[in-house]
Amino acid sequence: MVKMILIAIGAPLVAFAIGLSFMMIKRKIVARIQRRYGPTIIQPIYDVLKLLVKEDNISHGVIFSLGPIIAIAGSILAVFFIPMAGFSMLTGSGDLIALLYIMAIGSLGMALGAGDSANPNASIGISRALTLMFGYDLPLVIIVISVALQYHTTNLSDIVAAQANGNWTLWTLPLSAIVGFVVTYGALGEHPFDIVTAPHEVATGPMVEYGGKHLGFLMISHAFHIYIEIALFVDLFLGGASNILIFYLKMFAVFFIMIMFDEVLPRFKIDDAVRFYWKWPTVVALISLIIVLVK
Amino acid sequence: MERMTEEQVKTIANMLRKRSLWMIHYCTGCGAMELPPTMTSRYDMERFGLAPYVTSRQADILLITGYLNVKTLRRVITVYEQMLDPKYVIGFGSCALNGGVYWDSYAVIKQLDRYIPADLYIAGCMPRPEAIISAFRHLMELIDSGKADGYKRYKRNLAYYKENQRKVLG
Amino acid sequence: MNMSLELLLATPFIGGLLTYIGGKVHRWVRNIFAVLFSLLTLGEMSLFYNTTFKGDVWGSLFGSKLILQTNPITWLFLLIVTSISLLVIVFSVDDMKHEEDHIVLDSYYMQLLFVEGAMIGIVLAGDLITFFMFWEIMSWTSYFLIVHGGKKSMDAGYKYIIMSIIGAYAMFVAIAMIYSKAHSLVYPDVALVLSQSSPTFTIWIIILLGVGFFVKAAVMPLHTWLPDAHSEAPSPVSPLLSGVLIKMGAYGLFIIFYGLMSANLAKNIMPSIFSTPVLLYIVQWLAALSIVLATFLAIMQEDAKRLLAYSSISQIGYVVLGLATGTSLGVAGGLFHALNHAIFKSLLFLAVGAVIYRTGTRNLSDLGGLVKKMPFTFVALVVGIIALAGVPPLNGFVSKWMIYEALLQKKEVFLLIMAFVGSTGAFLYVYRLVHSIFLGQLSQKHENVKDVPILMQIPMWVLVIATVIYGIFPGLAMDVIVKGMKMFGFAPIAYNLYGFPQGSTMGALKVINIASVLMISFVVAWIFFLLFSKSRKVSQYDNYAAGQVVTPELKYNYSFGFYMSFGRVIKPIFKISIERIYNYWVDAAKIFGDYYMRRVYTGNLETYNSYIVIVVTIAAAAVLLGGKIW
Ligand code: SF4
Repeated sequence: MVKMILIAIGAPLVAFAIGLSFMMIKRKIVARIQRRYGPTIIQPIYDVLKLLVKEDNISHGVIFSLGPIIAIAGSILAVFFIPMAGFSMLTGSGDLIALLYIMAIGSLGMALGAGDSANPNASIGISRALTLMFGYDLPLVIIVISVALQYHTTNLSDIVAAQANGNWTLWTLPLSAIVGFVVTYGALGEHPFDIVTAPHEVATGPMVEYGGKHLGFLMISHAFHIYIEIALFVDLFLGGASNILIFYLKMFAVFFIMIMFDEVLPRFKIDDAVRFYWKWPTVVALISLIIVLVK
Repeated sequence: MERMTEEQVKTIANMLRKRSLWMIHYCTGCGAMELPPTMTSRYDMERFGLAPYVTSRQADILLITGYLNVKTLRRVITVYEQMLDPKYVIGFGSCALNGGVYWDSYAVIKQLDRYIPADLYIAGCMPRPEAIISAFRHLMELIDSGKADGYKRYKRNLAYYKENQRKVLG
Repeated sequence: MNMSLELLLATPFIGGLLTYIGGKVHRWVRNIFAVLFSLLTLGEMSLFYNTTFKGDVWGSLFGSKLILQTNPITWLFLLIVTSISLLVIVFSVDDMKHEEDHIVLDSYYMQLLFVEGAMIGIVLAGDLITFFMFWEIMSWTSYFLIVHGGKKSMDAGYKYIIMSIIGAYAMFVAIAMIYSKAHSLVYPDVALVLSQSSPTFTIWIIILLGVGFFVKAAVMPLHTWLPDAHSEAPSPVSPLLSGVLIKMGAYGLFIIFYGLMSANLAKNIMPSIFSTPVLLYIVQWLAALSIVLATFLAIMQEDAKRLLAYSSISQIGYVVLGLATGTSLGVAGGLFHALNHAIFKSLLFLAVGAVIYRTGTRNLSDLGGLVKKMPFTFVALVVGIIALAGVPPLNGFVSKWMIYEALLQKKEVFLLIMAFVGSTGAFLYVYRLVHSIFLGQLSQKHENVKDVPILMQIPMWVLVIATVIYGIFPGLAMDVIVKGMKMFGFAPIAYNLYGFPQGSTMGALKVINIASVLMISFVVAWIFFLLFSKSRKVSQYDNYAAGQVVTPELKYNYSFGFYMSFGRVIKPIFKISIERIYNYWVDAAKIFGDYYMRRVYTGNLETYNSYIVIVVTIAAAAVLLGGKIW
């Protein structure tokens, strides 16, 4: 019982800490890639806290304020369904397929909030976000199906357990893993898929009217979001982990490689992004799926 | 646990604020030219936690880079009023300070301070990145000591500012 | 003899007549009668709920007995029919007030009750004659309901009734063929005959009956009547059409797949793909195509009700897809989705109807920002779209999840991918719906809009509660479904009140955990949110516009062509539109006729149906000549 409560409180905190640490590291690495010195390592913490202690906050209505809250609530929910370093938490209450939809709760809440800001930039941003989501969802479901068929289960804990002893999906289904990696870019909105928030085009899109504590909450939920996407990738393809340190290292490796590509890429147009996802990643994912089916 | 006094909260808040300053730069004049070098690898203002941001709701500093005229003043005021407290204004270059080379132009707003409260000016036409960075450092000190209170002044003397604005904008 | 089923069947018909007569006395008599009789029907339904009547002979025709019977599946559909009809009638009382002409309104209520009675008859039918009779009553009365919606609805209704008639002809041919062989049309007898006669005969029967059901269920490629009919019908009628009426097609499919032709029989007479009989496999593909293409079409709509109509095609695709899988889980998923879809789609149509009632438009780009004026309707619509999008913890999620799991178990991956795509696409159009109506900028002409009167809110609240309850406690519905499926020879599925335990499917599901954790984390996040300084409310005109001042005259809103860029991506797909294929055939027929049969094809009366006519004719001819197709 005590252990359960500890996990219930601990898991979101650990997830947040991991996500936040990635945000910190990202800014530093990006600065180094651009041959800058970069901010102090804990700069994101300052940013979030500063936003939270703003004296003045504005709101366009109840739904506007609920947006960031639902975003965080949805993220916390998703954290519980992803096995973290041996703790499977709620994976028995919802499998991989349910998780795909649970992960959408936060974004949809956020979308509602942003829509309420009565700003066309926000609307365009959401329109792009959903279109992009539709784009990367096709390859994503194909690789999820491949993995589920590979292990004859959709339970994430079982999938992790089946990959024990270095028998990772990355080795058995390398094509799916590559597609999964490309999909994670879109899901995180990294370059070249940062179409949603594109500051130069739609003034940070959905976040255009958010400031102060609302924006602080959105940054917190972004930290969760980073954790969720990468942890899912690690669980599906890199065999999860038995302790938190190895889990962190695996996640870090994935994230590090991501930023390396991320920083040197330009930005897609939204329809090109969808076309891209529906072309090569889908074809490769289908090939991988057929391999699983035939095997 | 003892409750923190209001004073202590303010000190901590100010400490956070000075370490993370997001700016929205209102680039009307030629002075904005000097901002890119300040942001990029040569001078790298992100070292100080300064970052350019996009919308008025997100930013803490309003940077008026260069001359303002009657047409742009209205936008500047809108942006300023949309920003969330605490907010700071920096007048950038001689033009914002006193009209600069346009001192005798009919269309240029000569003194920024009469319309919105500036916390700081950077002199020079145009100011070098070193000057910009030193200005930001100075602003941080002001924030730390609680002296950067332009937004409070604006609220207190709203009538005065509105009157001046009305005279120009009609 | 037990008269209870006859009573249940007769109540709405008698009620309809009394309502019509009551309308001559006073309009309130009429309204009260309408509500009272639909309430009475619901009451009788719940009184007998879940008791099994083995077969009540209520008459005979051509020597064939006319039978009413029930089983748990029947009760599931009866629950849908009676409750949604009641809510629709309650909603109509205020919504149809604007109609000046009393005679029109009198007949409107009468037809509503008749449609309800006809649908009860279809579900209760124990033989094909009863079934066909009520099927025709339903088609005609619903046609009259559709044409209440103004000028444009005439064309829509015309399209609808012509396609229905073609479907009915096909069914009639099939019934006649069966009768010539079996001399009885009671379900067990028919099943017996089908299992004993030649495979070709059986398959043709299935196809002919299937055409009739496919038209009603609006499965592609026989869907073209639905978008027009459902969007042009009066707002209270649309939920009845989209929520309930197309479910009759699904019910019919269930009856022929598993009542008349058991899955084993199907396996014996035709080859199987992925352990699905070919015919069912084709049906699955048609359903999957419905899901994807209708989703794409729904995304591109500019009209709220048309958007919902296309989404109905897509969602009924899930129902049919589930029903055609042939496994317990899939069929249960399909039946459950039929129930869920009835609930949330009625909710959505009612909410949109409420908006139309207050603003008088259903053009999405004319609306916006109504959340501040119509908060209750907003909540109802949001609950509906979350359920529609299949996001936990509401009801649409559970049934879709079951269908996915069933397909995954059968390794029918391509169908599964299509089902997934349709579901993600649903995010796009449901967000479009809620955003363009309720979010964004409130236009000046809607400044004085109020929420709808209480009588229109009550139906929405009932449906909201049902959505939540069936979402969190799927076991409630599964009780009935599993019990009913046992009677049709399906293996039982392990389930509990909150979902599905490990082992029955490839994964486990427990919706209550999802819901409660979501609730707790929401409360935690909210409390954390309240710790910081309070936010001040600003007007929608105090908005970021790069320094520009937003004024009320300026329309600062993004709602027309919301997914324009996505439209560019899917444009190639819509070069081949089904409607155009039909038109092509009609044109071809016309050209043909110009040369050879000028006298036969003079007009374009059969615009959408010449195709079907040809198929039906060939089919009948093939069977009568004893031809073989495989
Ligand atoms: S101060 Fe000099 S550089 Fe700056 S805007 Fe004025 S004229 Fe241009």
